Amino acid sequence: MVIVLPEDLEIRIRRIAHAILRAPFTKQTWSELLFFVVGAPLAALGFAFIALTMAAGVSLAVTFIGLAMLALSIRGARKIGGIHRAVARGILGEQIDEPDPFVARPGFLGWLQSTLRDRAGWRAMAYAVIKVPLVFVGFFVAFAVWFDAFEFLTYPLQGADSAGEIGVVRVLFPPGFFSVGDPRFLHGVAIFCGGVFLLFLAPWAVRAVVYVDRLLMRSLLGPDAVAVRVRSLELARAQTVDASAATLRRIERDLHDGTQAQLVALAMRLGMAKEKLDDADHLDLDQVRELVVDAHRGAKEAITELRDLARGIHPPALDTGLEGALSTLAARNTIPTELTLELKDRPTPAIESIAYFCVAELLANVAQHAHASRASVTCAQHGRWLRVVVRDDGVGGARPSRLGSSSSGLTGLSDRVRAVDGRFDITSPPDGPTTITVDLPLHA
Amino acid sequence: MTTPIRVVIAEDSAILRDGLVQLLVDRGFVVTEAVSDPDALRRSVERDCPDVAIVDIRMPPTFTDEGLRAAIDLRRVHSGLGILMFSQYIETRYATELLADNSAGVGYLLKDRVADVSEFVDALERVASGGTALDPEVVTQLLGASRRAGSISTLSPREKEVLSLMAEGRTNAAIAGDLTISEGAVERHVTNIFLKLDLPASQTDHRRILAVLRYLDS
Repeated sequence: MVIVLPEDLEIRIRRIAHAILRAPFTKQTWSELLFFVVGAPLAALGFAFIALTMAAGVSLAVTFIGLAMLALSIRGARKIGGIHRAVARGILGEQIDEPDPFVARPGFLGWLQSTLRDRAGWRAMAYAVIKVPLVFVGFFVAFAVWFDAFEFLTYPLQGADSAGEIGVVRVLFPPGFFSVGDPRFLHGVAIFCGGVFLLFLAPWAVRAVVYVDRLLMRSLLGPDAVAVRVRSLELARAQTVDASAATLRRIERDLHDGTQAQLVALAMRLGMAKEKLDDADHLDLDQVRELVVDAHRGAKEAITELRDLARGIHPPALDTGLEGALSTLAARNTIPTELTLELKDRPTPAIESIAYFCVAELLANVAQHAHASRASVTCAQHGRWLRVVVRDDGVGGARPSRLGSSSSGLTGLSDRVRAVDGRFDITSPPDGPTTITVDLPLHA
Repeated sequence: MTTPIRVVIAEDSAILRDGLVQLLVDRGFVVTEAVSDPDALRRSVERDCPDVAIVDIRMPPTFTDEGLRAAIDLRRVHSGLGILMFSQYIETRYATELLADNSAGVGYLLKDRVADVSEFVDALERVASGGTALDPEVVTQLLGASRRAGSISTLSPREKEVLSLMAEGRTNAAIAGDLTISEGAVERHVTNIFLKLDLPASQTDHRRILAVLRYLDS
């Protein structure tokens, strides 16, 4: 029976075999060995520093100096962690981000307190302590396996008597284990084969230990997950605060330049008309009529501007749900726009508002920049998410920018979406078409 | 007939700019130019040497206080130029900055004041002829923020009214008309105010206003 392997499985097996055969001769294998060679003295020094300072700190803990020693130990652990990170980056190419920088509160007491509470420092200390047994194991595995591989491969050259004097494999394979037939020849062949096996096993044994070390470094020397989350939330909050300040500023500007100016001009015309009417001797009704007509027109313009402005703050149509508001938007768009809505649950008002303003802004962009002939908006519920997709068949090349007044543009939208843990994806190749996908949690 | 007052307008809102031109021309002023940014204002003053400039505080490019900066610069170079600052808000800081060197030929009015055309024209004429025109709102804020609140509280209600109107830059005659009392009565109130606030008595309207403003601002 011939086993026919599926093609991709065959390729995969070939790849694995290739990797195994090449492993002893790759740069990575030797880098990892070097990592232990360099890491061992570092680990020893780091541990010695921490052991000394901690011991001193704990034994003097009742006094102030003890606390200061502890703090020193933690600060030192951070520095040692930095060196370990640098070594990992230099030798393994393992990029581990720095933890959040240490920020001391003012004064010596503040410094002491901040240091003793420095999570990153304590984590670095934990690593420095764990690193010692790890380096020991790594060193043992690496040198035992590599040395035995060398020993066994050269066994036929050494003569039977010197076999197995050094190395662990002697314990695993006691002499005589392989002695079938001509004991000396078979013994030699078996041990040589063992050497070949160890040669190809050695890189993987070392790699396994290094892998554990990599995991430890990532979790103990990098920024911790909570800190990363806190930072991203802080960033989102700052962006939200900035965005709402920018929105208020924009509304103030619109009111100042638009409605307020309109009303001042209107009051001025009416004031002129009134004074002309008061001056009964030189009454020129045509002049008065002209002023009143201007004022009347100004009043109507002011009303329109005010209505647009109010709608920009909160569209009244949104009160009854996204459906009505979005269909108004689609219908008002200058480019034919198709709207598809599939919503089972109603999102919270904040989410509805973000979705609405995303669609409004994106459709406005389509009308202004895309040179598109058609646009489509789909708004669908996927479990607990709301997915809004705006497509056009225009020229593409849409991308967010931090420049100019883009706070209300794509960047502003993306900031608003991310503030509620949503996602904002732009697919807009230079020749179009553009698809922008906004994922929002149904309830923020 | 006297020579008409020549006015330059710097206002970035087209609606208001056009409205002001219409109003001033209607009232017999000569509008040398109506511009929309501070640089154009500087050039215009340089070229036309108008009697007075109506300057919006908030103008491009940053829409903060460009107008005020331009006005302060212009007054350094053209001492005879009257400046009427024109704004939709009253900021006491702007008022004190504007009045810091010299209150002669300076005005600061809310834009709303154009609705009362005659009063606005009055104020503009006062500024053009070296007088002062401060918005009642400015005066209220100055009075409210003044560290001399203690001595101001010794004034009678009528005296406070007179003080406010004086600070706005009105003449005795105008104050008398406003409060429907005789000019003599206004004089008496003024003398009392100066006594109570321990200010040097002064003859001319302008010096009086200056004294009052210095007093409020100190």
